[in-house]
This record gives sequence, structure tokens and C-alpha cells, in this order.
Amino acid sequence: MFDPKQVRKDFPILGRVIHDKPLVYLDSGATSQKPKVVLDAEREYYEQHNANVHRGAHTLGDEATQMYQDARSVVARFIGGQSQEVVFVRNATEALNLVAYAWGLDSLRAGDVILTTEMEHHANLVPWQEVARRTGAKVELVKVSAQGLLDQEDYKRKLKLKPKLVAIVQVSNALGTINPVFEMTRMAHKAGAVVVVDGAQAIPHMSVNVNDLECDFYVFSGHKMLGPMGIGVLWGRGNILESMSPFLTGGGMINEVYADHSTWAQVPEKFEAGTPNVAGAVGIKAAIEYLEGLGMDNIRKHDEDIVGYALAKLGEVEQITLLGGRDASKRSGSVNFIYEGVHAHDVATILDSLGVAVRSGHHCTMVLHNALGITASIRASFNVYTIHEDIERLVVALGKVKQVFGR
Amino acid sequence: MDIYAEEVMDHYEQPRNQGELEGNDVRTARDANASCGDMIQFFIKTKAGRVIDVKWKGIGCAISVAGASKLSEYLQGQSLGDLARMSEAELVKAIGFQVNPGRMKCLTLPIRVVQKILES
Repeated sequence: MFDPKQVRKDFPILGRVIHDKPLVYLDSGATSQKPKVVLDAEREYYEQHNANVHRGAHTLGDEATQMYQDARSVVARFIGGQSQEVVFVRNATEALNLVAYAWGLDSLRAGDVILTTEMEHHANLVPWQEVARRTGAKVELVKVSAQGLLDQEDYKRKLKLKPKLVAIVQVSNALGTINPVFEMTRMAHKAGAVVVVDGAQAIPHMSVNVNDLECDFYVFSGHKMLGPMGIGVLWGRGNILESMSPFLTGGGMINEVYADHSTWAQVPEKFEAGTPNVAGAVGIKAAIEYLEGLGMDNIRKHDEDIVGYALAKLGEVEQITLLGGRDASKRSGSVNFIYEGVHAHDVATILDSLGVAVRSGHHCTMVLHNALGITASIRASFNVYTIHEDIERLVVALGKVKQVFGR
Repeated sequence: MDIYAEEVMDHYEQPRNQGELEGNDVRTARDANASCGDMIQFFIKTKAGRVIDVKWKGIGCAISVAGASKLSEYLQGQSLGDLARMSEAELVKAIGFQVNPGRMKCLTLPIRVVQKILES
């Protein structure tokens, strides 16, 4: 096990002072902070190796191409996939749109069912609504129980509709729930569906192996896993990626171009039109190596410890209602709550005045918030640098809400 | 900056001019900040180009509720022409509350609603 207090020294931004108070950063679910090794890796790329990739017979071009491909290999190893199955995109949202447009538009017909859940981030719902609108397919949602779990009976019922596609989130960004993705994927495959897993909130906190999950697509962002913004990953099963049309077209993704038609490059380049984010790829590689240095199993232990501590401490605050399950072993990354009688944004502003950064609002999960019968909530979310003192500072800061609002 | 200044909290705890208006001389509009779940509706009664009564209803955070309350006071008796010429920034100034950039959309929610009425 690592010492998160030592880990904190690797993150320059954690030294910031906000409104004369040391920063307590509890918004890692929105974006994680970056260790110095990631920042250094990006800087070193631009200072020593920057050139465009896949072209130009010069040394820098070769170095940049090599670094980009190395990053792809590291990502593939990290999730148990093959290099050629790893497509670099901007973020998880773009990866899901890629699947929706490049796979969905060609594979879905009027009347087909797309099965997703009430728990999804808008990124794993809105693209499917759009594809449904264009193809005449229908979106069905698996219900969320009052305990913040996916209703497995409802899932089984809706699998009987023979969905062509099942899209599920591995860890909820708004409830912290860890979903039984492997079991759900097995059932979906038996029903004949292709399975897309949104791993954006899972991959920073636990070991992920796409072959163990048996899913067909897995997506995540670099910036939530200590990497830079602007780089994300779509992993897809090789034969499915091969069969798909391109998403974006132009330079970098072609084989041959004639006046009236073109042929496509091999995967994954077929899905990477235009100059890619090479520095971002270098950055995500550095982030993965940093995470592996701490050990993914240790990271999950720390995650569970912090979630459990936050549930216990916040549970003692009279005005707070916790959302989601109470068992830290079935949750990851965040604790969500509402403060009775005070709007989430007002709570967040008061916490900020004491240097405590949290997220407030619907966290891009309006359907979930409607299902739970609330308009907005407060989320404290964590990463490897979160310590017990952060939770304690949060609880103390919540005392000021009572001072200001008298409730 | 004290975003929850005494005046803000006073308007939040005791909002002014809450309610609804009816009649041919009443104009109304509503708007929402979807990401907050906030909703504000204004009713403005006019006579001879002037505001003669204002009511509003809605739900929201302290800033949007206090902002709507203070704005409803400011609007009383104003000329519609003068109000229509005011920019969003000028109306923020008229309300007079200090907020940080992240909360500006809370304060501008009631302003957007009133501007909708003025444009209609």
C-alpha cells in the first residue's frame, strides 16, 4: 500500500492556496490532477521530439511516431487489449460518438432496440438518442433502484426485447455504484447484443481487463486517470472495428485517394483522421506508468478506504442525505449527497470559500436525478492523492453552510 | 467578495413580490437553468409604457431567488423603453449583488426572463 501523503508531493497543484486556505480538491471525478511526471513527459515531447506523425522521413518525425505508437502499446497492455484495437480520441464522449455514428448508423434499423440505463452520463445516452432518431431505432433504459443499483430484473426483462446494442456504465459518476459489467455483458451477448462499456470513472480506480469483461467496446478519458485533457481511448474488438466505416475522414486515415473515391487505412488509423494529439498520448502513457507504479490493486484499496471514510463522516452530518449504496466495497470514486434545504450550488460556493472544491448540479445525469426525484446534488470525488484530512476539512466546511443559511 | 451578503440573504429568506398576475395587460415569460434545476417565471403588468406591477414565482438557489426578488423591486415604475435598452450587464449592476463568475448564470436567470418579456 502507498502513502497518499507521499503521493501528494507528486502533484504540484495540491500546493495551491484558495481563499487563504490550502486547497482541498474533491472534484477528481470531473478531472483528476496531474502528477509532475505527466507534465514533464508532455513538455519533454514538445521540447525534444515534436513533429507530425506517420509522415516525413526525418528523425523527429520518426521519434514522434515511435512515441505515439509506444503510447498505444502501453494503453493496450494496461487494459489487456491489442495495440491495433486501441483508437486514440479526444475523450470518452468522442469515443462513444464514434461507436454511435460509425457502428450505429450502419448497424441499426428502424424498430431495433438500443438498451442503456438511467444511470448513464449524458455521453452514453445522448449519442444513442441521436442515432435512434436517425435510424428509427428505439432507446430503452434499465431502471435504477432506490438503493442506487441497476435493477437487474428490469435488465433481464428488457433483454427480451433483443436489443442490438447494450451500453452500460461501469462506475456511476453520480452514485459511485460499481455495476456488474461482466455478468451484464454475458447476458447481453446471449441476447445477441453488442456491448459498449463506459469506463471513464472505473479506469482511474481499479484494474480493468477488457477480455475479462468480455465487452465489445470500452471507452475512457485520459484526464480522469491522472493524464492530460484532450486524449481518450476507444478500445474495440478487432473484427468489429475492421467491419466499421470510418467516423471522421480526411488525412491520416486513408490508404489511397482518387478524384472520386478513397480507400481506408488499417485500424486503428482508419479512425484517427487528422493530426493526432501526440503529446496527449505521451501524457496518458506517463499517467499509466505512474498508476502502475502505485499498483492498481493498491489504488482500489485506497479508493475503498476513502469512500468508506467519506460515507461514515458525511453520514454523521445531520442535514446530509447520502445518495447511492452504503457499502464502500461496491462503490468507487465519489460520495454524493444533498444538503437538506440548501441548493447544491449554494453549498458548493460556501465550501469553495473555505478552499474545498466539490461539484454541484446534476453531473450530466439528468435522467438519473429525475429518477431519484432530485434536481441537483453535491459530489465529493477522489483520487490517489485524497487523504482523510480532506474529508475532515469537507465536514468542517459544511458547518459554515449552517452558519450562513441557519439550517 | 461576500457572495452571501446580508442583503442577498434577506431577499432569499423573505423574497419580495412573489406570486402571479393575470389580465390582458400582463406579460409573462419563464426560463430555466437546466443544470441547476432552477426555474423562474415573471409577470409584468404595464400601463402607458410603464411597469405598474411585478410578480414572480420559481425555485432556485439563494442567488437566483434573491436576484429575482431584487430585480422585481427594481422594475417597479420603470419605463419599458428604458428597460429594453439596458444590457444584461447593466441589469446585473442594477441588482447590485456581487457574485463570482461561476455563479453569474444564477443571477442572470431572472434577468433573461425579464428580457424575454421586454422583447416580446
